[in-house]
Amino acid sequence: MALKLTFAGRVHILEIVRRRPHLVVSIDGREHEIAATGDGGDGRHTLEIAGEALHVARAQVGERQVVRLRGRTHEIGLIDPRSEIAETGAGNDEVKAPMPGRVVSVHKSAGDAVLRGEAVATIESMKLQMALVAPRDGRLAAILRGEGDSVDKDETVARLEALTSED
Amino acid sequence: MRKIQSSLNASSAEFRRNAAHNRRLAAEFRARQEAARHVRPARDLERIAKQGKMRPRERIEKLLDPGTPFLELSSLAANMAYGGEAPSASCIAGIGIVSGKETMIRADDCTVKGGAWYPLTVKKIVRALDIAIENRLPVIHLCDSAGGFLPLQAQLFPDKQMGGRVFRNQSILSKLGVKQLSLVFGHCTAGGAYIPALSDYNVIVRGTGAVFLGGPPLVRAATGEEVSVEDLGGADMHTSVSGVCDYPAANEEEAILIGREIARLWREPTKIAWRPEPAEDPAYDPEELYGILPDDVKKQFDMREVIARIVDGSRFHEYQPNYGATLICGFANIWGFKVGILANNGVLFNDSSLKGAHFIELCNQNETPLLFLQNITGYMVGREYERKGITKDGAKMIMAQSCSRVPKFTIMCNGSFGAGNYGMCGRAFDGRFLFSWPNHQIGVMGGEQAANVLAEVKVNQMKRSGEAIDRALIEQVREQTLAAYQEQLSAYYSTSELWDDGIIDPVDTRNALGVAISASLNAPLGDLGYGVFRF
Repeated sequence: MALKLTFAGRVHILEIVRRRPHLVVSIDGREHEIAATGDGGDGRHTLEIAGEALHVARAQVGERQVVRLRGRTHEIGLIDPRSEIAETGAGNDEVKAPMPGRVVSVHKSAGDAVLRGEAVATIESMKLQMALVAPRDGRLAAILRGEGDSVDKDETVARLEALTSED
Repeated sequence: MRKIQSSLNASSAEFRRNAAHNRRLAAEFRARQEAARHVRPARDLERIAKQGKMRPRERIEKLLDPGTPFLELSSLAANMAYGGEAPSASCIAGIGIVSGKETMIRADDCTVKGGAWYPLTVKKIVRALDIAIENRLPVIHLCDSAGGFLPLQAQLFPDKQMGGRVFRNQSILSKLGVKQLSLVFGHCTAGGAYIPALSDYNVIVRGTGAVFLGGPPLVRAATGEEVSVEDLGGADMHTSVSGVCDYPAANEEEAILIGREIARLWREPTKIAWRPEPAEDPAYDPEELYGILPDDVKKQFDMREVIARIVDGSRFHEYQPNYGATLICGFANIWGFKVGILANNGVLFNDSSLKGAHFIELCNQNETPLLFLQNITGYMVGREYERKGITKDGAKMIMAQSCSRVPKFTIMCNGSFGAGNYGMCGRAFDGRFLFSWPNHQIGVMGGEQAANVLAEVKVNQMKRSGEAIDRALIEQVREQTLAAYQEQLSAYYSTSELWDDGIIDPVDTRNALGVAISASLNAPLGDLGYGVFRF
């Protein structure tokens, strides 16, 4: 699998082409033959790329990878391929009841603006009060159930206005 | 594994309200624990000092390797029993490191009624030895007890899980090749005498240590013989004449040093699945747990936010994220150990129960310990769910969970009501360790529900007998039930009765689990297999 990382503000794609007899790495489509000579255990490495020696120091600071190269310090960011794949927006307009129960309070009205995670209504069932929250930032188009109403599992309790291109 | 993306708003009014509430609960817990550990009548402390004895906690401190953790178990056992006169059930139990070995340390507390065993003391000792058996942990006994608390003998002597079980467990440990060492600091009388006798090694302190089936007063009463403590069961007699004890020690300090030398001789344990990855702190601050837990047991919260504050790097691979969403299942590491987590995010439905059973089978096959995070009000009720067979799906989860071969751990994060407690590895299901948070409540149903049910029963009785409905009386029934439940539902009642292995501060959960998981890997896995699943 290719690695995608950011270095000095640019995205690069790395792929290991082969490991034997020499390590060959493709960086943005160009192949390089690399030999690594020793890690003194202190984060310092010497790489040999096409016969030329390159001195690098590497450190991990929390989740960040930092390298020092030719007198300058750079941060390397690894791009998680799964995070890149956007979540699908299906069903994101509706606030649904995850269990059957009774609406104990409604916190918002139609037309109110809501933030993702903000409670729109609270239902109770099986000794449990559950806040039904907005699935995304937006404006409430309608609230379909009121205080005291019963709701079925997966029933829509409120609906957000559809996203328009200006949003 | 990917980092959980927290959607917590730490500046919201709700977060601050929750945090204030739960910090208060944690502070109350710490205060109660501190009192149970250290507050004793001056009279008792003076007597001990005069005898040249250390307090039991000083002994433990000297026994442990410096700078290593000690996971104390059931520090508030018996806190609501015997009018509070037996703090920590007058004994100490916990897991610590002695000469590099993970050991169960069990100490009588001579600062409480001469270390007498109350019924809950026996329960706590038996549990400590059960833990030693289940996890193959060597045991070090720090003996200093007057014997059974005689006024309550009927509750501590005769039954299966009572006094005799201590010695039965010691024998089983020995059969399993798990080492035991007794350090005899004070008296070991009657049954207590068998503790050093059933240990592989024991050390006795000259002058204060003594072992006998009957002390001098009992001997005098039985046979008229006059004999001194030293002569009857002292260090020199037992180490040179009877062979009941192995090593005499000049004082407590020396006894502890001899004990540490002995532990050094024990073989290194071989652990199963011993491939820990590098540990990593959670990416989100565990202190935020206080603001996530609600200020009312009824209010639901997202258990992913809890997971994110317990596991390594807050990384979690969620299994079936969209199916049976009220039970979160997935893999994470804790202190580098892989675990499979089952966490309640609502009532258990048919789909969530099936998912739970399926996930448990996966973990059993790939040898992954199970961690249950409980906040459960039960399996869903109602016509639709009965017709869908909610009971047989719940039964599958209970079957898979009960027959598991991997170690199981349970944290009582909030509510634990009804059959949900069973499916989620409640106390009856032989989890290796079970800890509760201070906000935890447990019962067959909630207090309000029980009060309403009983009030309704009363109304029906009145109707049947043709009486006028006495509202005041009904209200009284309701309130009495509520008050009784309030006490018995609380985490303090639960831990008092040893329904758990102790209350812990939520922020300590990760460390407690680290010690517990590491200990659990000393024992081999059980056999893979289940009973008959009802499909």
